Amino acid sequence: MSGHVLAPLAFAVPLAVAAICAGIGPFVPRRVLDVLAFAGSVFSLAACAALASDAAQGTVVHWFGGWEPRHGIALGIAFVVDPVGAALAAFTAFLTTAAMAFAWTYYDESGPAFPVLMLVFMAALIGFFLTGDLFNLFVFFELMGVAAYALTAYRTEDQSAVMGAFSFAIVNSAGAFLILLGIALVYGRTGALNMAQIAHALGGHADGLVVVAFAFITCGLLVKAALVPFHFWLCDAHAVAPTPLCVLFSGIMVQAGIYAVARVYWSVFSGALGEHETALRGVLLAFGIVTALVGGIMCFAQRHFKRLLAFSTIAHTGILVCSFALFRTQALGGMWLYILGHGLAKGALFMCSGILLNRFGSVDVEVLRNVLRRRPLVTAAIALGALALAGMPPFGTFVGTTLIDDGARESGLGWLHYPLLLAAALTGGSVLNALGRMAFGWGPPPDPRAHTPKTETTETKQHDGFPYVMYAVAAVLTVASFCAMFVRGAPAAALGAAERFMDRPAQLAVVMNGAASGAMAHPAAPSLTEAVAYGFAATLLAVALAAAALFGHRLPDALTLICRGPGAVVGALRAVHDGVVTDYVAWLAAGTATIGVALAVFVR
Amino acid sequence: MIAFLAFVVPVWIFVIGLYGMATSRNLIHLILCLSVTQSATYVLILEVGYRLGATAPVFSDVLPGTRAVDPVVDALTLTDIVVGATVTALLLAFALRIHKRTGTLDPDALREMSG
Repeated sequence: MSGHVLAPLAFAVPLAVAAICAGIGPFVPRRVLDVLAFAGSVFSLAACAALASDAAQGTVVHWFGGWEPRHGIALGIAFVVDPVGAALAAFTAFLTTAAMAFAWTYYDESGPAFPVLMLVFMAALIGFFLTGDLFNLFVFFELMGVAAYALTAYRTEDQSAVMGAFSFAIVNSAGAFLILLGIALVYGRTGALNMAQIAHALGGHADGLVVVAFAFITCGLLVKAALVPFHFWLCDAHAVAPTPLCVLFSGIMVQAGIYAVARVYWSVFSGALGEHETALRGVLLAFGIVTALVGGIMCFAQRHFKRLLAFSTIAHTGILVCSFALFRTQALGGMWLYILGHGLAKGALFMCSGILLNRFGSVDVEVLRNVLRRRPLVTAAIALGALALAGMPPFGTFVGTTLIDDGARESGLGWLHYPLLLAAALTGGSVLNALGRMAFGWGPPPDPRAHTPKTETTETKQHDGFPYVMYAVAAVLTVASFCAMFVRGAPAAALGAAERFMDRPAQLAVVMNGAASGAMAHPAAPSLTEAVAYGFAATLLAVALAAAALFGHRLPDALTLICRGPGAVVGALRAVHDGVVTDYVAWLAAGTATIGVALAVFVR
Repeated sequence: MIAFLAFVVPVWIFVIGLYGMATSRNLIHLILCLSVTQSATYVLILEVGYRLGATAPVFSDVLPGTRAVDPVVDALTLTDIVVGATVTALLLAFALRIHKRTGTLDPDALREMSG
């Protein structure tokens, strides 16, 4: 089928299935809804995969209702499907399918709301990846948001889940309004909402209004991407959201924010702001590095396994923002691969946390001490996930990191490798640290005076039977993440897709004039084998950090003094993450003001 | 002067909304402040499509070609209002649920997750 038909169907069919499920929900058994929802997500997966192969041959443009542009003016709304958007949409559908399979035995009973909201959430994400219209992007942002808030608070009897959803909704809505202010400014200047038309109308020069609009849109999207200091909602929401949903939250929703920043930059602003790339790079790199390190350090300080994984997502957001900020084909291609590799590994880890919650009724690492002693499968899956987070070859994260490092060296920023390596090692190390306690009972007993996390009420009844489906799904994701390096041509395809993504003049011709774009180029990718040593260095650092946390107390007292410095940093960071939603809003305002002032000062 | 006010008014509304959210002592008040913040976006969007001396873009009783304000911004604002209503309704439901469970709406007393 041609891409013109598939593009709208990929998101319209799951929405229609969701409506049907909501309508018949009260009258049919739960399994009927599960099967329908599963079929809906499988359809989207197939449609997006077909779209991706179409898009590799040439960008697919679909004008809804046949409202094609006349005389250079686009009144209609277009889906502009390039290889990157289609691949990420397919990845969304894949993760949703996996999460639904996982939820099959995970919930004993679930109302009709769960499959319905999951489908709406997936459809919104797919639309978000495929659209070529700035206002449409905002609408999908909000649709995705509303479904996500409702799903986070799905267990309404758990007050921490409802409070997490509340903070999530408040902070993300404020971010959405920032995006909308930016869109209004852009529309006021150009009279256009289609990204290609806006880019054409903006021309090659930026004045104050364009910079302010860019700052608003970027800040709003980075709220979704959980850049520090916009990240507070993420650690609260991920810790309490239903586990199958966390797979999607950490695997693709957060990364969708970064995708949108990249999309808006290269499709809309790159002409006007191109001469200021050095200044933009400086500002974004500073925030990215801080995000990577804050996420990594906080990750290391967690006992609550899902919250630990949430902070690791923040650290990886930092890595992704840094790779975007390089404004290089190499780094952007690496970023796409990193998103896929990280999404698979993080999805598998969240599924393991779901298995823990399902088996043992807790995700507090200290409560779970020793419980995995006779559970080699979960232990192995968590260990592999930890190594993937650290960026060990041959995981997908390693392939991404190699390309990102390459981009950094090209820009003369070779040192960028070290903070990002440290952040990745911190996240891998903290999972290994938790695993050492859960599987082997290593590590000192918890300090009774220390901070004790609130225990989560169990999402499900505890089971004794072997959860084949849950293990199988987690295993599929782990293996997929592991095999990434062996997929021949993946780096070349990612670079080709990134090249197409960054080519604004070609997009203008395709979208506004209906020109056909050529097939995707497959540029030469750097050799992965040379970087293997770097990858193993990160893994060794992760193991060393975990060992220090587990066995550091056996060292002589003089050596433990060294730990006091980092301890003070952790204490200060903990105090900032105070769980009060009003403070999160204050941080949002402060972060936006900082980014805005920084851009105003440096972009002239 | 009008062009100046056109930017200052929405920024002012947005900032007082954020200020209200950041200093709120009650979740319902917080939600209403979010709505105030959102109304800044309505005002700005309507302003960018406004034309002096123009009528509404409904051509049933005026001739086509009459100077009218930009109809696109009306559609954008309407969409924005729908989105806002959905989010507000959902947030109010959350607040009701939180009050039922904990008996309080004070954000400082609701530190469910920290550290």
